[in-house]
Formats: sequence, C-alpha cells, structure tokens
Amino acid sequence: MATKFGLAGGIPERKVRPIWDAIDSRQFKNALKHVTTLLAKHPNSPYALALKALVIERMGKPDEAFSVALNAKELLYANDSLLMDDLTLSTLQIVFQRLDHLDLATGCYEHACSKFPGNLELMMGLFNCYVREYSFVKQQQTAIKMYKLVGEERFLLWAVCSIQLQVLCGSGEDKLLFLAEGLLKKHVASHSLQEPEALTIYISILERQAKFGDALEILSGKLGSLLMIEVDKLRMQGRLLARAGDYTAAADIFNKILELCPDDWEGFLQYLGCLLEDDSIWCDEAVNDPVHPPKFVNCKVSHLTEEQFDRQISIASTCVQKLLADTVNNLIRCPYLATIEIERRKHLYGKRNDDDVMDGIVQYFCRFGHLGCFTSDVEMFVQVLTADQRTELLEKLMKVQDTLSAPPTKALGLSISFFKIKQLLLGDISTPCARDLEASCVQMFEMYCTNLPLSKDLDPQEGTYGEELLSMICSILVQLFWRTKDVGYLVEAIMVLEFGLAIRRYVSQYKILLLHLYSHCGALSVAHEWYKSLDVKNILMESILHHMLPQMLVSPLWTELNNLLKDYLKFMDDHFRESADLTFLAYRHRNYSKVIEFVQFKDRLQHSSQYLVARVETSILQLKQNANNIEEEEGVLQGMKCGVHFLELSKEVGSKSLTFNEDLQSRPWWTPSSEQNYLLGPFEGISYYPKEILTKDREAILKRVVEKKSLLPRMIYLSIQSASVSVKEHAEVNGSVTPDITSELKLLLECYAEFLGFSLTEAIEVVMGFHNEESSSVVSDSNLIDWLNFTVFLNAWSLSSNEFVNPEGNGCRPRIWNILDSLLEKYTLEKIRSIGPQLCSPWSGIELLIQLVTEPLAWHGLVIQSCLRSCFPSGKKKKKSGSAYHQSSSNMAHAITDSVVHLSHVLEDVMKWITEWMRKPEDENMENIFFLLNKDGNNDGPGKVFRMLEKFISSVNDAEFGDHISPPLKSWSPADVARKMISGKLRVLMEFGDICDSKWKLLHSLKQQIAQL
Amino acid sequence: MTTIRRFCCNDLLRYASVNLDHLTETFNMSFYMTYLARWPDYFHVAEGPGNQIMGYIMGKVEGQGESWHGHVTAVTVAPEYRRQQLAKKLMNLLEDISDNIDKAYFVDLFVRASNAPAIKMYDKLGYVIYRRVLRYYSGEEDGLDMRKALSRDVEKKSIIPLKRPVTPDELEYD
Repeated sequence: MATKFGLAGGIPERKVRPIWDAIDSRQFKNALKHVTTLLAKHPNSPYALALKALVIERMGKPDEAFSVALNAKELLYANDSLLMDDLTLSTLQIVFQRLDHLDLATGCYEHACSKFPGNLELMMGLFNCYVREYSFVKQQQTAIKMYKLVGEERFLLWAVCSIQLQVLCGSGEDKLLFLAEGLLKKHVASHSLQEPEALTIYISILERQAKFGDALEILSGKLGSLLMIEVDKLRMQGRLLARAGDYTAAADIFNKILELCPDDWEGFLQYLGCLLEDDSIWCDEAVNDPVHPPKFVNCKVSHLTEEQFDRQISIASTCVQKLLADTVNNLIRCPYLATIEIERRKHLYGKRNDDDVMDGIVQYFCRFGHLGCFTSDVEMFVQVLTADQRTELLEKLMKVQDTLSAPPTKALGLSISFFKIKQLLLGDISTPCARDLEASCVQMFEMYCTNLPLSKDLDPQEGTYGEELLSMICSILVQLFWRTKDVGYLVEAIMVLEFGLAIRRYVSQYKILLLHLYSHCGALSVAHEWYKSLDVKNILMESILHHMLPQMLVSPLWTELNNLLKDYLKFMDDHFRESADLTFLAYRHRNYSKVIEFVQFKDRLQHSSQYLVARVETSILQLKQNANNIEEEEGVLQGMKCGVHFLELSKEVGSKSLTFNEDLQSRPWWTPSSEQNYLLGPFEGISYYPKEILTKDREAILKRVVEKKSLLPRMIYLSIQSASVSVKEHAEVNGSVTPDITSELKLLLECYAEFLGFSLTEAIEVVMGFHNEESSSVVSDSNLIDWLNFTVFLNAWSLSSNEFVNPEGNGCRPRIWNILDSLLEKYTLEKIRSIGPQLCSPWSGIELLIQLVTEPLAWHGLVIQSCLRSCFPSGKKKKKSGSAYHQSSSNMAHAITDSVVHLSHVLEDVMKWITEWMRKPEDENMENIFFLLNKDGNNDGPGKVFRMLEKFISSVNDAEFGDHISPPLKSWSPADVARKMISGKLRVLMEFGDICDSKWKLLHSLKQQIAQL
Repeated sequence: MTTIRRFCCNDLLRYASVNLDHLTETFNMSFYMTYLARWPDYFHVAEGPGNQIMGYIMGKVEGQGESWHGHVTAVTVAPEYRRQQLAKKLMNLLEDISDNIDKAYFVDLFVRASNAPAIKMYDKLGYVIYRRVLRYYSGEEDGLDMRKALSRDVEKKSIIPLKRPVTPDELEYD
C-alpha cells in the first residue's frame, strides 16, 4: 500500500519502525520520544500525528489523544495533495476505536473512498468500519461495489452475509433474501462457486425461504462436491428433504448417516422422525433456545394408521438390528438406546408394551450400567412409566444387578447407577422415611470407602472411582435437612464433601455443592473461596457466576463483590469491543457462516439478563459504599449522570428481550435457579430432579426487579436535592424553589409505589398507618426493603413538597420522619431478636438485616447529611442573611437530632448483637457444631455418616490407599472444617460490624455538627 | 452415542460441565473466535442424548512445506462421559481432516510433562514424543511435543524424535 500510494504520509518506513516497536513492547514513553522527533521533521504529517495520538491514548490521556487525532483527521481532509494511505487511516481508526468514536474512523474511510473510488484496499477498510458499527446495509453496499469492481466471489458473499444479517439481526424483511438469492444465482451461472462456506450460505438462504427443492438440487449437483465432509453434506440433505416433506427420501439419507456413524444419536432420532413422518425435531430447532435445548426428545403422537405405523417401526427395528449386528465396538451406545426409543414411540402410540420399555432399560443397564452417563441416557424413557411400573423396573434392575458379575470398577459403576436410577425412579422423596434415607447414605459411604483403594494407583489429577457417591450422599443429607430442619444434616453434608476434596482437590461438583451449603449457612467468605478455586473466568462467568453472585449482592463482602462484578463486566465489555474485529476475521477467512454466528452471539450476550443485573448492581454497590460521605456520593452520582441513564434503562427494560445464559444444570437440586431455594420454605416433597425452568417467567420477574432497582440512583439523587432545598425553602417567603425536583421525585414515587402494588396515595396511607401498626400486615420479608426505601424517599419528598400535607410530628419534624425512624428501628430490632447467635441459624434473616442497614438506612443517612449541609452553608458560599434563615436551619437541626440519636441507638444494638457472636469462645462454637453431629451418641438424626467417616480415617493404612490418597486422608481434620465454617461466618459478620460502625461514626459526627449550630 | 458436529459460539455457554475440569483451560473469547473464524473444521463438539455436551476438540492447521500439519490445541471430555474413548474419536476426526482434506504431513500437540494420564492416552493413539520443550507452560513446567505422522509423510520423517530439548523461543509455531 505504502509503495503504491507513496510512503506513509511521505515518511520512510525505517523512521516509523522504532515507534511501532516501542508501542508493541508497551514502552510508550520511548515511543512518544520517537514520535516527537518525527513530528519535528514532519509537523503536518497526518500519519505522524495519528501515531502520536495512538501513543498518547495508550499512555492514558484520552482527551489529548482525541484532539491530536482530530487534528490528524483535519489535515488529512484539508490537504488534497496528500495521498490517502491505508496505514494512516488504519492508525487513526485504531485511535478512534479506542476512544469510542467509531463514527469518526468511518468518516475518514468514507472520505478516502470518495477520493479514490477504485481503491479496493480502502474499500475493504471501509467495509471493516461498517462491520464494527454493525451497519449491515452500508456493509452490503460497499461489498457490492467491491464485487462490481473485481468480480470476486468473496465480495459477493460479503454482500450476501450483510443481507442475511439485516434479516436475522436487523430490521430487514425476509424478502431481502430473495435479492441475495438472485445475486448468488447469477454469480453461480457465470462463475460457479469455489468455497464450501459459500455453498453453505447459499443453502441457508434458500432454506430460510423454504425453497427446499432448489437447495436440494444445488446440493446434489456439481456444487455439492464442495462439501468435503460427507456426513455434513448428508445431514444437510436429510434435513432439507424432511423439511420438504419427502420423508421417505430423508429416511434413506439418515439411514446412510447411521451406517457411517452408528453412534450418532441425533441422526437416529431424525431417521425415526422421518419414518414416522414427525417433524417435531426440526420445528424444535427453530423454536428452542439453542443454549438450553430440551432435555427430552419431543415427538408427536403419530398420525399414521396402525398398519402404517407398524410397518415403519419394523423398518426402524430392522435398521437398528443391522447396526447392532455390525457393531464391533462395545462402547457404541446408540443402537442399544435406539431399541428403547423405538419401544417408547410404540408406547406413545398406544401399544401396551410397558414390559418391552422396561426390558430395554434393563438390557441397557446390563451393558452400560457401569458408565457415569447411564442414568442421564435413560432418563427420558423413564418418563413414560407409571409409578407402579417404576417400582417394578427398580425391582427388575435390582434382580439383574445381583446376577451381573463384573470387575470391581465396573461393579462399582453399576452400583452407583443403581443408586442414581433409584433416586430418579422414586423421584418424590416423600415416600421413604428419614431412617431409610439415612441408611442409604450410610450404604453409599461404605461403598465409597470400600472402593477407594481401587483408585490407589491413579494419578492425583484423575478423578477417583466412586466420586459421585459423595455428591449423592450430600443431596440426600440436604433432603433430610429440608424434611427435619435439623441443621446437623447440613453440617454432615459439608463434612462429607470437604472430606472428598481432601482426597481429590479438583472435584468441581463438590465445590459447587459446598459453595451453596456454605452460603446457606452464612459462611459466605468460605463459599467465595471455593468459588474462586473453580477458576471461573472468561465466558464461564456468563454461565457460572450465578452460583455466587446473588448471595454476594446482599452481603457485606463489598470488596469481593466488587471484584466479581468488575471482572465480569470487563469480560463482557471487552468482548463487545473486539467481537466485530473477529467477525471481520471470519469474513477474511471466508468462513461466512461464522460471520452470522458471531454477530448473533454478540447480540445474545448484549441482551444477557445477568449483564443487565450486573450493570445496575455495580452502581448500587458504589452508592452503598459511598453513602457515608455525601460529597463522595454526589461524585458517584455525577458519574452516573445523576441516575438519568438508569432511569432510561428502567423505562426501556420492559420492551427488551433478555437472554438467560446460565448453566442451571450445574445447580444443586434445592436451588434450581437463583430465585428459588426450597430449603427456605416448608418441606413439600418436590422431586429434586431439576425441572425445566420457564425462561419466560424468569424474564418477567427479573425485568421488574431491574426496573425497580434502576430507579434507585435517580431517587437517591433527587432525595438529596429535595432535602437540601427543604431548609432553604423554609427561608423563602413564598417557598417555591425547585418544583422540578419535587415533581420528578413524586413521579418516581408513583412508579415505586406501583412496584409495591399500590397507587401513591394508597402507599402513603399505608406508610402513615405504620405508626399505629395498622399497616404491618402489608410488609413481608420479600418487600420489607422496598417499603423502607419507599418511606425514605417519601420522607425526602415531603421535605420539599408543598403538595404533601404532612401533619407535624415532633416539633418541626414531620411525622413521616418519625414513622421512618421507628420503622427502621422496629424491623432492625425484630431481626436481631429473632436471630440468636447460633452458628447454623438461617442466614436469610441476617441478609435482610444487612440490606436494611446498607440500603434504606444508608439512603436515609444521605437525606440527613443533605439537610444538615444546608444548615451549614460552606464558607465559600455567601451566607444567607436574615433571621428567618437561621431560624429555619436551627429548627431543622433540632428536628433531625432526634433522628440521629434514634438511628445511633439502632446501630448500637446491631453492633452489640454482632459482638455477642464474636464473644463466644471458639471452643464453644466448635462444641456446638460437633454436638449437632453427635447428639450424645444418640442413634437418631444426623451424624451417622460422619461417625463412619471418623472411624474410616482412624483406620487408614498406607499400603491399602497408596501415596496419593493416604497422606491427605490422615491429615484431614473435621475440626479444621468446623473452624473454617465458624471463621467464615464470623468474617462476614465482622465486615457487617465494620459497616455499622462506620455509619455510627457518621451519625456521631453529625451530632457534633448539630451541637455547633 | 455421540453426535459430533462443528463447535459453535452457543456451545461456549453450554460447556461448563466440561470446562470446570481443572486441566481444561477456559481461553479468552478472541482465542476461541479466532479458531472458529479461521479453522472451523478443526473445532468439533460431541453431544450426547438429552443434548448434553460430552466433550470437544479444538485445533488448527498451519506450517509450510513439510511442516504443514494439524495441531491439537485442546481436547477434553466431561467426567460423566470419560472411559468411553470419546477423546480418541475426536482425535481421529481431527487426524482425518488433517490427512484427507488438508493433506498435512503430521498432527502434533503439546502436553504438560506431568500429565501422565494424557501422555499415556496419546501414546495409545499412536503419538510419539518428538521433543521436550523446556518451561513451556507459564515459564515453569516443561511441555512435551507429541506427533503422529499422516499418510503424506510416507517415510515418517516428521516424527523422528529430536535428541535435545528445545526452548519455547525455538518453536516454529505457538
């Protein structure tokens, strides 16, 4: 490029090389030195200036960099004699992109292209700019220009992709696809196609228009040979035939696929779908969320006559029999599972073949029961059986298990599968009594211990045999807790998993269970440690963060929470920044289907519900962290444009479609989504196998939460303003200072009241009714914080509103203020009185207490600070004169004194309560924990597995367990685990204590300020 | 019971059960997307019944002349689906593509010198230790460069082991 258009802005390459080298090695100061020298010689070179801007930006001076870059751009535009080279443009582009001014970069390329209309390289640069801006229409126009210029296939495909993107990700109508089809057809007629991906796109365009016949014709013609992987081509053909309704031909194709890949389960399902003329599998593809595909095969009850049905089923059976006969590899599961699927379809059709379904499962158990995936493989077939049949099946499995002889590792696998399928079949845990459940835990633990020597020679990085048993024991122990509310079971579950992790410290399944158990007990810092040990990073954060984030949001571990949020948002934002460049990479490498995929994926992440929550919560965390200092809080609010941005978000969120990308399958049974935790409610005997979660319901709930929370920054801002004008307003003769603030706050209060299920007037009535306990029934744990927040903001509004007739309460202090103070006091004391300093007491109450102090109480603290500040105009401002002003200030000051004193007492009570926890000697805490497990050796209740565990550890010998297992077993101590639980919980309470203390100190200093008034 | 198909972006949101394994690295997005954008035929995923992700393989093809080769960047299987020779199946697929479509001379991979189970598996699949790369992993642990010759390398020249270890900066490709 440089040679074609002269040198880069007239500068020889050797002069700029050292600059790029210095930039690449991040020696920016050095780079700047070189640039300065260069600029001395070439003061008007846009390229030299662009380089300078680049260096300055990397040095962290965005404003200066921006102005230099603009300067470079102006020079580039102004001087017609200067040549436009791609090097200058791309350097400027980098700077503008880093400064979030993609439009300016695009402008430069547009200008260059208009000056040199025939230059392909500049046009590609411009195309790339549009890719970055997701301007699909302009992309298309530019690509077409390039295609017209040189006639290359790739530019045509760039245009076609851009059209497809308009339809799939933009507002383009389907009929645009016809245009794309026309372009391709014309090109194929004159030039054919060279790239397999071009063909894939061509087919997808036809398929989307339901032109299956045309697509098939192309695929079976000469162009079809472009697809080198035979199975891929067959899959495409089969799908097209099926969608065209030609089931017979499609079945033949899928039969071929099965011959090539006898283990292709999806291939078999498609084959069967075609034989039975059932297109559900293809319809589902379009309807289902690709990230959460259904666990079970969807199928229609066949419309075929019985005769037809029997014939087709017999064809399928013959095919499967042939696959079975041809199978030499004894690890191929598909044909065996296929026989059960055929029986299932027969069952669904109304054939009374329950025994055949059961026999199929039994046969499968005999062959593959030792595999870890046995239960999940057969899960869908069990669904068709009645409760009685399930019991029957279990008996059959039990019988057959006794007859199977297998080497020890396989025998262990079979036993585990048996336990798992037993849980699956008897799903509803209300059937067996607690004692039976305990017995099965003991049995499993025994099995684990007995078989541990099998893993003696395994590498420490490999999983041990029977690893799953411990997770299964944990699941049952938690059920027992739910049933009995005896926390001993939870402690026991923790012990079992910690023991497992002492043997193998990498088992992620144990870690996930543990982090939920510790969170439930309030030992959040330990939960967080286990979470960290999972090394959740990059895209895994999007699917796994839900295990930790929700409980951290209501915890006092602000530093850890801040890191979680920061890392996650950085990952997402980085992806959004770089995604377009990677899309362009796919264009360049002619992998067109990936172009579409990348853009859709970016869209998916941009609509992520978790991303939305994280953004809102990050701002709320900042507000919580700075609430003790009104100036700092105002700084934070300024950074959020006084909450306006979030207000817009609140309005928009309802119409946005959100994506849910969490991997919910990895969650423990008792909390199938972060909004649900069965353990907090009464025992209901819900089958603990995760149900399909209804995304639509989650979406509606989450949207409301976000809508409500997004109001907070603005309401806090307005409350501060409202409180500050209140004092001044008292001084005004006609008192109408800031109608805007007051009316906006009123509007938001109306919205907030709506979230509480009331109109503003009604909600005010409720609040006014609090003073005589009239309204207490309205408040529950789930809306307590919202009511308190509402009252805080209502109080702030009442300070500046003339509209709100606020009966005088205590002197000058409005009555609503009294109500707010007593509400804060009442609910705080209620919480601390109901939660004794027992280590295993439920954490959810403490979470509410923490929220109460860090949210409504903190916001109220800001209102007080704002009022006081207005009583003390800063020295710089001109003091208002006149006795009216002083009188008003003094009244207000006295009025809030009561409140400050009141809240100080509340905080003192909380701190005293925390001290109670801290004061308990460690020995006593430990004793309590072990008491929960041993209960004086009583045989009932928790502790049975734990006692076996202790016995097992004490009897370990090196020869039996080898060098890898024996030492950690011997050094593992239950006391250490108990200590960790205690310290984990106390650490959280300590952090909470520090927050309370800082708030108490703030109130103390406010008291002193008032005294000076 | 394995449907093997091309890996796609959405699979990144579904592979947690595989990637929570401590030996499976979760790369940054540009790493995955570069592989998808450049070598989509070398990035495959295995799906089981109930649409469960069983494991995946990612790799690339690069080099010049007789160094033109397929490279396995990562191959991993979820714990539930281990001991079923799935990794073998995925490796064979990548070898087939390198051999038949891209006509490469050999396939290679790097493995931690301490990862005995993996080394044993690659050995069973016909890979030999071509050379040791000193401090390849984060400047600490040595890596082993293991290779398997493909049909184009008739004389199996590509897999004659080097006598001395090399340092990471001596490597031709990352």
